[in-house]
Amino acid sequence: MTLENEIYQFGEKIFNSIGQNAPSGFGKKGLASKLMQWSMTKPSLKTNLFRLVDVLPALTNSDVVAKHVHEYLGEDLTELGPMFKFGMKLAPGLPSVTNIAVKKSVKEMAQMFIVGETPEIALPKLKNLKKNKLAFTVDLLGEYSVSEEEAEIYLKRYLHAIKVFGEDTELQDTNKPIFKGHPGCIFPSNVSVKLTALYSQCTPLNFAKSVEVLSKRLSTILKLAMKNKIGVYIDAEDSEHNPIIYETIKKVYGSEEFLDFPFPGLVIQAYAKDSLELTKDILDFAKRRGKPVAIRLVKGAYWDSETASSELHGWENPLFIKKEKTDANYEKITKLLLENVDICLPAIGSHNIRSLSHACCYAEKIGVSKDKFELQMLYGMADPIAKAFVGEGYLARMYVPLGEMIPGMGYLVRRLLENTSNESFLRNTFHDQNEIKSLLKNPSENNNEIV
Amino acid sequence: MKLFNNISPTDFSIASEREKFQKAIDTLNLKISKSSFEVHPIINGSEESVEKSISRENPNDTSEKICQVHLSGTKELEKSIEKLKQGFLSWKNVNLSNRANTLRKVADIMNKKRFELSAIMTKESGKPWKEADADVVEAIDFCNYYAYLAEITLDPINTQIKKAELNELVYIPRGLVAVISPWNFPLAIPCGMVVAALVSGNSVIFKPAEQSSLIAKEFVSILLEAGIPENVISFLPGLGSEIGNAIVKHPSIDMITFTGSKEVGLDIIYESSVVRPNQRNIKKVIAEMGGKNCIIVDEGADIDEAVKGILYSAFGFSGQKCSACSRVIGVGDIYERLVDRLTSAASDLIVGRAENSASFLGPVIDKDSFERLNKFIENCNKEYEIGYSTIAPLGGYFIGPHIYKNVPANSKLWQEELFGPILASLKCNSFAEAIDVANDSPYALTGGIYSRSPKSIKYARANLEVGNLYINRPCTGAIVQRQPFGGYKLSGIGEKAGGPNYLKQFVYERAISENTTRKGFVPGLAD
Ligand SMILES: Cc1cc2nc3c(=O)[nH]c(=O)nc-3n(C[C@H](O)[C@H](O)[C@H](O)COP(=O)(O)OP(=O)(O)OC[C@H]3O[C@@H](n4cnc5c(N)ncnc54)[C@H](O)[C@@H]3O)c2cc1C
Repeated sequence: MTLENEIYQFGEKIFNSIGQNAPSGFGKKGLASKLMQWSMTKPSLKTNLFRLVDVLPALTNSDVVAKHVHEYLGEDLTELGPMFKFGMKLAPGLPSVTNIAVKKSVKEMAQMFIVGETPEIALPKLKNLKKNKLAFTVDLLGEYSVSEEEAEIYLKRYLHAIKVFGEDTELQDTNKPIFKGHPGCIFPSNVSVKLTALYSQCTPLNFAKSVEVLSKRLSTILKLAMKNKIGVYIDAEDSEHNPIIYETIKKVYGSEEFLDFPFPGLVIQAYAKDSLELTKDILDFAKRRGKPVAIRLVKGAYWDSETASSELHGWENPLFIKKEKTDANYEKITKLLLENVDICLPAIGSHNIRSLSHACCYAEKIGVSKDKFELQMLYGMADPIAKAFVGEGYLARMYVPLGEMIPGMGYLVRRLLENTSNESFLRNTFHDQNEIKSLLKNPSENNNEIV
Repeated sequence: MKLFNNISPTDFSIASEREKFQKAIDTLNLKISKSSFEVHPIINGSEESVEKSISRENPNDTSEKICQVHLSGTKELEKSIEKLKQGFLSWKNVNLSNRANTLRKVADIMNKKRFELSAIMTKESGKPWKEADADVVEAIDFCNYYAYLAEITLDPINTQIKKAELNELVYIPRGLVAVISPWNFPLAIPCGMVVAALVSGNSVIFKPAEQSSLIAKEFVSILLEAGIPENVISFLPGLGSEIGNAIVKHPSIDMITFTGSKEVGLDIIYESSVVRPNQRNIKKVIAEMGGKNCIIVDEGADIDEAVKGILYSAFGFSGQKCSACSRVIGVGDIYERLVDRLTSAASDLIVGRAENSASFLGPVIDKDSFERLNKFIENCNKEYEIGYSTIAPLGGYFIGPHIYKNVPANSKLWQEELFGPILASLKCNSFAEAIDVANDSPYALTGGIYSRSPKSIKYARANLEVGNLYINRPCTGAIVQRQPFGGYKLSGIGEKAGGPNYLKQFVYERAISENTTRKGFVPGLAD
């Protein structure tokens, strides 16, 4: 059977086991789902709605909340009022009850994607994931670090989280791994680090110093993580900062001190035109290092902002402009990673059932077993999908953001945007309910009909 | 006809681009270490030797000499005028697109030498890399844009089509234009003013700020290399008080375009209104002067963005831009948090030699500025509530960022343009009050707001008195054509630089009406 046919059969099986269970964001309940439904059916107001959600957590008094709600939604309040759980009479000067109600509903929405404000609060939910046979990696949401004071606070938050997870015997119980013998389970917990927030003067023009400072701070994190048995991924960010990030990763992961850190992780974004080259470069690095690294493959979270920014500067867009190109490149890199499982642990980060199925089927085809790679998804976006893959015997890890609402807003709005975009696999699956056949189409061949 | 496109700034996230810049600095260092540069007046394409000269030191390192500037005097002025009058007679008749294409050639040469030009500015003017690069980019954009603009706006137009008359409006150059330029955009601003005058058919006397004579000379060499006729451009380096003054008062000058301080600008406007013996015209003056630019941050603002934007607007090139932000207003509760974050962020900005790519703040321009600012800061530290004050590295004219809190709106610190890394802040209780406080200034150049309230944004659009309004972004960094630049009130007079109306200032309009009939025969009517 051809790979395409296998992907189609396998994908269909996944769709069947998901059945009617849409991810929480696409369900019937909650502000997030209503918001998403609503902005997908009424795109003209999407901008206003998202801008409102973006500003709300920053507002500290009820008059100001009411003012912003009115200004953004105006006459649409009649329709939208119930969504935010407030009456239609909302106007500046109303008692703070309304304020609380509005902010409460936004908070509820945030909780779908954000696991809690502190590591302590997050613990029960993380244990719950584990009970459901899901691994996790925790990301700490933060503001920009504009000063060293802020960067240090951020570093301390990571160290604190690592300590809290490390000291929790239930979470760290290595006797009951989710997937026995899987390299992703050597350390039971895992954190994902946003490197640029660890140094306030991290810019390309301050390249050498940025790498130096970040290496030091990353080393501090790795040392404690090693001691506490916490795995680590370094997130990929925008193309302005990524060269600094990869340089730091090579310096620190390549150093003698951390050669024994099991599968230290990094991220490759398939939407970047140069990502295939980068992957080869990283694989070479892993070879030189002599010990494997974990490589999370994602499509990339900064498509809108990077595309807009390269237009403003008159620079060539470093990213693919067509979604299918990203998807096809994603599959190319998937193959490359799976062909090199001796020097890397591939982590296929996507909610796209085609992309995930492609990885699973290709692995099978070339004889790479299920304990040689893992799948990763964002918390709150793909619970039923993750479950379906776990059902097929794969290790799935959830990326779990943790932190306060205001700094979390950027993340939340990005997720909402991603899910309501025309190009979104999740939207096409759960909102528009496209045909399975077209959802599983090979991105490399435009008119590839599956027989 | 060619369309206009902005040239791209250098993408410093690419390692090879950083290397090119560094190499240009290294090469320049090597040259200077052998011998410093000489800047002479250039008249009719050749360097003039004169008596007096001054030496210019590197503001990054005062022990290093950059160049010797030979000072032009009245003799050079008279000689220039004689040559330029001759040159004008043929230049004004050169076909418009030929003149425009010469500008495009200037742009091409500058683009090829962009790192070389940037390197000069990092040393001579203490411009950090990104700012120096932006300066070159803007200069190139001015050339290409004015070339394009000349072609679309300076051709004669038929005012009305009539059978018996040919009615035209034609544009003719004014004659002899003096360009008096500042040191803070030592390439872009003089370039914009000079090439605008040239492409419109004028001949030009160019008097650069003495602090940035070397880059100015480099620019003039490029003009000549590109094919601007030798008798159309004169380069008269020297002191504002001497040669600058003489130029302004000279009866043969037809127009003065000036960018610089309010004091000098107003003085030029005054002096050029005097009609002197043998003068046969009224001098036209364009003057772009200062600003005391304010950014307002309201309760709902994205504070991350606001902090980053204000830091860059206030301390980029050490606040020595006429567009720089020197006042911040926080509306309501956000004020304290905003100022806290600004002050802690300011304390980590990198202050150091501009040749070092990492520096956010380089030195201020010269000893005078350095002493004036330090004295002012000393006073401020006594008079106002300090948010952040610091002592900068030695060896050059370095001044770190300064922030003051709860500054009274009628104070000197709040009202006067300082041209340094000094930011005053205060709190207002409402957005409307903040706009009023911001508007209570003699200046109206740039200004900005950070807000996520549609109503506040609308209110600011209508009511903030500034020539360039920036919403949810820094208030500096105008891009040619995209954000035409210039202010009103005491910030200046004239059409916006890099805008669609700029070139019309360099020409006279003439209306020509010709009766095309002969004894009742109207050509074409019967056909
Ligand atoms: C576990 C995990 C960790 C992650 N870590 C990171 C990280 O470190 N850094 C990071 O940047 N992102 C990260 N992401 C976010 C990730 O990039 C997005 O969630 C992902 O792009 C969504 O893709 P998808 O395959 O789920 O969905 P799909 O709907 O198949 O793909 C959507 C993606 O396609 C791309 N795209 C959309 N339109 C176009 C277009 N016109 N042209 C080209 N490409 C287009 C974009 O990348 C968009 O996000 C992570 C995601 C997961 C699951």
